[in-house]
Amino acid sequence: MAANPIRKFKDKQTLSKLRSHDKEAFIKVYDDHVAEIYRFVYFKIGNKEEANDLTSIIFLKTWNHIQNNSLVDAKTLRALLYKVARTSIIDYYRETGNKLSVTDSLDDENNRIEVVDEALNSEEKIDREADLELIKSKLPLLKEEYREVIIMKFINDLSLDEIAEISGKNKGNVRVLLHRALSALKALVEGDGKL
Amino acid sequence: MTEKDFIVKLNNLRSTAPDEAWLKSNRELLLNQISNSGAANLSVWKTFVINFSSLAKASVRPAYALGAFVFILVMGSLFGNQVFSNVKPNDSLYIARIISEKAKLNTVLNSDSHDKLAAQFATQRAQDISAVLADPKFNTDQNQTQVASLSASFNQEINTAKTQLDHITPVPSAPADVAVSIADNAKDNQGMQVAANPLGQTVSYATVSEATSSKGSDKTATSSATSTPAKTNSADDTTVILDQAQKLFDQKNYNQALDKLKEADQLINNAN
Repeated sequence: MAANPIRKFKDKQTLSKLRSHDKEAFIKVYDDHVAEIYRFVYFKIGNKEEANDLTSIIFLKTWNHIQNNSLVDAKTLRALLYKVARTSIIDYYRETGNKLSVTDSLDDENNRIEVVDEALNSEEKIDREADLELIKSKLPLLKEEYREVIIMKFINDLSLDEIAEISGKNKGNVRVLLHRALSALKALVEGDGKL
Repeated sequence: MTEKDFIVKLNNLRSTAPDEAWLKSNRELLLNQISNSGAANLSVWKTFVINFSSLAKASVRPAYALGAFVFILVMGSLFGNQVFSNVKPNDSLYIARIISEKAKLNTVLNSDSHDKLAAQFATQRAQDISAVLADPKFNTDQNQTQVASLSASFNQEINTAKTQLDHITPVPSAPADVAVSIADNAKDNQGMQVAANPLGQTVSYATVSEATSSKGSDKTATSSATSTPAKTNSADDTTVILDQAQKLFDQKNYNQALDKLKEADQLINNAN
């Protein structure tokens, strides 16, 4: 949420520019948010190629939405992007007729996470990648809403206010949901006995 | 593994990112698509207007909040003491009364007026304490702790009032011509004459005093001309009355103490 005045000002400025069909503002929004929207989509649907396509569609839909609406349904641009992403993913599920299953490809060879950290030695890198792969493999086993809040809070670093606005819940409910989701994922991962 | 460690591992999933090549190609693709739907670069003027209106929209709420805060502060300082003036020492809002009185005092810049107002507030608070303790429904055995606390507060208020009265600068309220007239009368009795000030200015006490003491015989004139100003007398009188009120209070004659305090309040109020 635009808690501090500078962020609030920048949000208003960007929205006004987008409404005025400003190309540069759109590119800035794309550069600032594409990675997190991609991550959100990717961890929800579990397929890299489709995540690419959906991310592209989400930005285009957001652009069209801003041109055609007064934005009363979302307080910030970031929240709007996530709302559009959620509805796009739901549409995707409807069209393809399936949800991410345990056997889907979050952890296949093509989607291996590339961790770039020069400070880590090779053994630490291997351990860390193994941990991440394990978590990644367990994420699809979670309930849809659990997975969603974990992605938003712990992977994309959204605030409780932002998650509450995007998901249409109050902050207290989001906090409870996060706690349950984290416990469920931790139990799944620890049940595997590797972490 | 602790929850914190687990969260750190989850945070590491942030390293997941789309391909750089796809990012660039998709950027171009989207730019082309939105350009077809009418997107363009904004003019300098349009950018200025947007920046200005965004700034106004972003700052309107903090500006309102600041305005409301300043308004409440000013109104509270000016009128808060009137609103809470009827709150008694055994009420829960009594602290609000004290704060509003302090706020009101802070708005008075003249030191004499400040001291006078402080003395008046202290006297009024002492009156209210006396009135509460004079009430037999309150002053019971069950409330002895509160009674003791209020008694201590009473003494504190009286001391505050006396201290503030001491601070008031003595200003001669008896004009010099009165002093001259007194001296004149005294000298007339001895066949002497006091010359009128040729400049029509007021005669200082020292002048009169010198005139009288040079003869070394007119004790009456000297004592009259160098007498303490009326305001100091008034302050002294008030202090004496406050002392009497304190004694009556100590003797648990709350109603009489209350009368004395009203008298003192009246004196402070009438003092110029």
